[in-house]
Amino acid sequence: MANAQQPGAPQPAPTGPTANAKKYAWPEKPVVLSTRVKRLDGPDKVSGRAKYSFDINRPGMIFGKIVRSPHPHARVTAVDLSEARRAPGVKAALVWKEPGTEAASEVRYQGEPVAAVAAETEEQAIDAARLVKVTYDVLPHVASEAQSMASDAPLVFQGGNTRKGATQEMGDLEEGFKQAAHIVEQTYSTHVITHVCMESHGCVCEWEGDKLTAWVSTQGVHASRQQLADGLKIPQANIRVITQYMGGGFGSKTNVGAEGLICARLAQQATAPVKLFLDRKEEHLDTGNRPSAFAKIRAGVSADGKLTAFDGQSWGTGGAGAVSGFPLPYIYQFPNRRRVHTDVFVNAGQQRPMRAPGHPQGCFLTEILMDELADRVRMDPVEFRIKNLPEASPNAAWGDYFRQGAKAFGWDKRHPTGDPTPGPIKNGFGVSAHQWGGGGRAGRAHCEITSDGGVVMRTGTQDIGTGTRTIVAMLTAETLGLPVSAVKPEIGDTMYPVCGASGGSTTAASISPAIRIAAGKALDQLFEKVAPQLGVSADVLVADTGRIHVKGNASKGMTWKDACKLIGTEPISTDGEWEAGLSSTGTSGVQFTEVDVDIETGIVKVKRVLTVQDCGLIVDRLTAESQVYGGIIGSLNFALFEDRILDRVTGQMVNPNMESYLLAGMSDIPKIDIMLVDTPVQRSRGVIGIGEPPTVSTASSIANAVRNATGATVRSLPLHPHKILAAIEEQKAGGTK
Amino acid sequence: MAQKNKDPEKPEQIDRSRRNFLKTAGAVSTVPLVAGIAGAAVADAQTGAAIAGPGDVPIQLMVNGKRLNLNIEPRMTLLNALRNKADLTGNKRGCDRGVCGACTMIIDGRTAYSCSTLAIEVQGKQIRTVDGLANGATLHPVQQAFCDRDALMCGFCTPGFVMATVALIEKHPNPTPAQVKAGLDGNICRCGTFTRIMEAATSVKGVARG
Amino acid sequence: MKAFEYANPTTEKDAVTALRVDGRIALPLAGGMDLIARMKDYVTSPDRIVNVKNALDTTIAAQPGGGLKIGAGVKIVDLVENAQVAKLYPAVVAAAGEVGTPQIRNAGTVGGNINQRPRCWYFRQEEFNCYKKGGNRCFSPAGENQYHAIFGNEGPSHIVHPSSLAVPFVAYGATFRVVGPNGERTVAASDFFTMPTLQNVRKENVLADDEILTHVMLPAPGNVRTGHYEVRYKESHDWPLAFTTIVLTMNGNTIQSARVVLGAVAPIPWRSADAEQALAGKPLNEATAIAAGEAAVRAAKPLSRNGYKVQITKTAVKRAIMQIAGLKPVQLRA
Repeated sequence: MANAQQPGAPQPAPTGPTANAKKYAWPEKPVVLSTRVKRLDGPDKVSGRAKYSFDINRPGMIFGKIVRSPHPHARVTAVDLSEARRAPGVKAALVWKEPGTEAASEVRYQGEPVAAVAAETEEQAIDAARLVKVTYDVLPHVASEAQSMASDAPLVFQGGNTRKGATQEMGDLEEGFKQAAHIVEQTYSTHVITHVCMESHGCVCEWEGDKLTAWVSTQGVHASRQQLADGLKIPQANIRVITQYMGGGFGSKTNVGAEGLICARLAQQATAPVKLFLDRKEEHLDTGNRPSAFAKIRAGVSADGKLTAFDGQSWGTGGAGAVSGFPLPYIYQFPNRRRVHTDVFVNAGQQRPMRAPGHPQGCFLTEILMDELADRVRMDPVEFRIKNLPEASPNAAWGDYFRQGAKAFGWDKRHPTGDPTPGPIKNGFGVSAHQWGGGGRAGRAHCEITSDGGVVMRTGTQDIGTGTRTIVAMLTAETLGLPVSAVKPEIGDTMYPVCGASGGSTTAASISPAIRIAAGKALDQLFEKVAPQLGVSADVLVADTGRIHVKGNASKGMTWKDACKLIGTEPISTDGEWEAGLSSTGTSGVQFTEVDVDIETGIVKVKRVLTVQDCGLIVDRLTAESQVYGGIIGSLNFALFEDRILDRVTGQMVNPNMESYLLAGMSDIPKIDIMLVDTPVQRSRGVIGIGEPPTVSTASSIANAVRNATGATVRSLPLHPHKILAAIEEQKAGGTK
Repeated sequence: MAQKNKDPEKPEQIDRSRRNFLKTAGAVSTVPLVAGIAGAAVADAQTGAAIAGPGDVPIQLMVNGKRLNLNIEPRMTLLNALRNKADLTGNKRGCDRGVCGACTMIIDGRTAYSCSTLAIEVQGKQIRTVDGLANGATLHPVQQAFCDRDALMCGFCTPGFVMATVALIEKHPNPTPAQVKAGLDGNICRCGTFTRIMEAATSVKGVARG
Repeated sequence: MKAFEYANPTTEKDAVTALRVDGRIALPLAGGMDLIARMKDYVTSPDRIVNVKNALDTTIAAQPGGGLKIGAGVKIVDLVENAQVAKLYPAVVAAAGEVGTPQIRNAGTVGGNINQRPRCWYFRQEEFNCYKKGGNRCFSPAGENQYHAIFGNEGPSHIVHPSSLAVPFVAYGATFRVVGPNGERTVAASDFFTMPTLQNVRKENVLADDEILTHVMLPAPGNVRTGHYEVRYKESHDWPLAFTTIVLTMNGNTIQSARVVLGAVAPIPWRSADAEQALAGKPLNEATAIAAGEAAVRAAKPLSRNGYKVQITKTAVKRAIMQIAGLKPVQLRA
């Protein structure tokens, strides 16, 4: 999956634009691209007409429900389905965790699927699931990183509770610390959060003989098809996956999961379509999370504000046996550095990629340190950062963005650490920087133009809320010189050309070249039909404002409709594939935040956020801006509110709901100002992607703003009032150590 | 997760003396205490406490101005009744616990979490859902404002926000940001559309006071 | 949820009758903002639900003598918008306006708010078989107790009482009318809520299984000045970390006597005798407010992870008094 990118790692050598990419290069002066185009599926979504997978009601459909382990660590010794099978309305039941074999019967987290039933109504399915009798041999568990790493911890994972990675080193650490005039030695951390997609995970599966149609709430229809085929051991060609509308994934819906396979199996057994969607508790327990991140860091800075050394031991948990890595240090240049990371296993749900995997963690663990170092050398935090940036490039333009953003934000009004204003409300400013990869590879599209002037662009991608459906139409319209409304985009179905999953902020950059090329080729074919009618050669024709005409001579031409009449009975039908030269990878951005902190209660209020963000060629400015708003709000939640809390004794989650798993509401949202970088340089980079970068660094800038306001440093997220108050107390007593 | 049939909330120490007294003294009303009289009692417009359920009961709901006849168990929520039995899937299930607001409907002029409302208890009330808001192809002004301002992304929370905004606008046709916050604080969006929802809510034109 | 019978009585008498089910469990359904979620989580699985919304009084009536009689069926939104309540008992309106969300206030009732069960996340999750569900322990002392009590922590339960309205009702000296099979009785609000013991831990108040709370009677307030201050972590839809209603009987600018009730800090609305003593006879000014805040938390015995609530409670008390004194204390708001 494209989220495995490591921005900052050396990019593959550019291969240069292909012949098609040159031929169909993005226009110098786009008519449609980079404008604000309203979401095409807006009316369907606001009217309730849009059918999400959760909404699909099929004739004869029944409902599935999974039985899950309440224990964080146990062995299943028996599963008795008999009473469940006899319950009213039950049509199917299966065992998922087979007792008997040691490996297969082990449950390693609360919520792990053990069995499942299907019944005529949802209520009957829930009743029946509660009649499944599972016998557990409860085993010791570890409920936190500390418990897992303790010297007397029970060994609960094969091969050890922890897995230490290789040490990465560069330069001469000892020399680096010698050069340091100041050294900061602290531990920083971020916490586990869950994706909380508003539409839960699940699918509707319907068999017709040995053919399966699955409406899956997924970020990847083609990936889902492959996973279903592998899991069910049937040919991919027998499976069709449909996702027309999808209620949020944030990285957690790139795999059909146990729920997808269970749903398909229940449907087989019952010989009826089955709808199986998770409830909110199941979502928190078993559909992934962002791993925690801890780092004990020792870092040095020279008297004149140059970073000299970084020594970091990091760890984190991605749950039961899962990874937890993240880049560290993040962005800023420590010429002498060493870092080793340890994955710590905990009996809790396994991580799944979550919007900009690894980056929010690496950013936070570096950015608070940067403000602490800046204070040591009495430098302004923005100047300090600019001084220690890597070499500038189109996708590493923080130097410029810091200056632009600082000016727009009014950064010069920032007071040194600790608001001197009397009274309990302290005001502070914070800053942070971030990067992301984006870019694309796997995209294909098919363009069809019919004699009635109709245009269809088909691509087997999906719209997870980013506005993909709309940009498919926009890219086509731009290429064909048509209004967006003249194009019918068709997506979200494995019947359409293969595309990758929507993750890593790669969708736009993956499909844009394919669409551009497919539409470009289709237009070329149309030109071939029009040219003889005008008595010119095809290569002097252009398409714009709904007409095909000779370049430079608007009157020598015909309308789109008339041109298409020349097509005849066989529609123009062309394919396009991603090719290098119309997209690229690498984005950079900065964020500034202002907060008020009530030092008598520890409550933080984020007042405003300003971001400078690049993303190459902006496709739909309106939906790109929405992604930025969304990413920032997501990071605000990460900074202040949401928290996956396990009871430290029993290891079970205490807040698997949306009441005590806190998420911002309207009153918690600050003023947000967005400066999207739209320059010739960025446009020349082609389409890149914007879904993830904006969510990386808001939390870090909030934490820095809180520090600026209170004068006390909180080095862990979330910034709960108890931490703010404790830090203030510590600061009064002599400093936050 | 096999469960015993005891209610965890109820104390073991029941005042048995009083219950026994009532039993032997004869019932104070003709309340039938036998469960499962499916279809035998319509639980509305009756004097005395007639008992309905626990099996299916015929009910009538007024939804978007139309009468809906359904057979539902008393435990069925209004949300599930409309989604699963009437294919009115515009209304979404997000948390199912009366927190996220994705299920928001307007009942007798006031917003409600339909996931935490029983279908059987809203007979006789006027229920408005997002499915009935548009007039054919013409969107309701609130819906139009949401589209114009891009106040949506994945769209799953959107119907709930639309209904909450409709109720808000019908009470305050030109709401201030403070009124918008107060009116919409019962809805959550994970994609982060709040900023544009605020713009949409403060720019709606053409809604009469409800 | 487990399947249940449904009754929809239209009189108090029929409601009481419908709640009597030999050997089985019947519960009243008011707004449903608490009960339905509890049922979905199998915290409670009644055999019968009695919809009491059509049986309860939904009016707010002036009483001879100057008080108000509020039907338990009054929706919280109607309480918030009632001019008489706002005029006579501003803290009730202040508390009611902060309850939940608009949807919750539209459905939730006064009676339901008073009788709601705790938000304690051990109580609310099926996996934790705690005292309140018939189990033999409380999970909070050794566990995640950041939102639990800082007063009244002798055990066995360390919940904080979840009702926002209970606090001003206690502060204003309200009484509750309760109706059961043996007729009606009146219980002072300050006697209604019970400190947990091993015998009574399954409930938070004196209401019997076959009784319903039908009215809240508020006495004439007299010549008092009221303050109400809540501290919340999240501004939208969150439970308060600590809050207080303070009712002062004044003698010029001197506080003659005070009623200080703290919320979200104890298993019951917590009268703070320490704060009341620190206020009696003092001038109404900031120094007094500060002293009262400190006095209010002097006897606090927080748990391992909620010591921060002591500071927040202290602040809430201080600021409520400053509010009364016209000193406009800060409140971080959107």
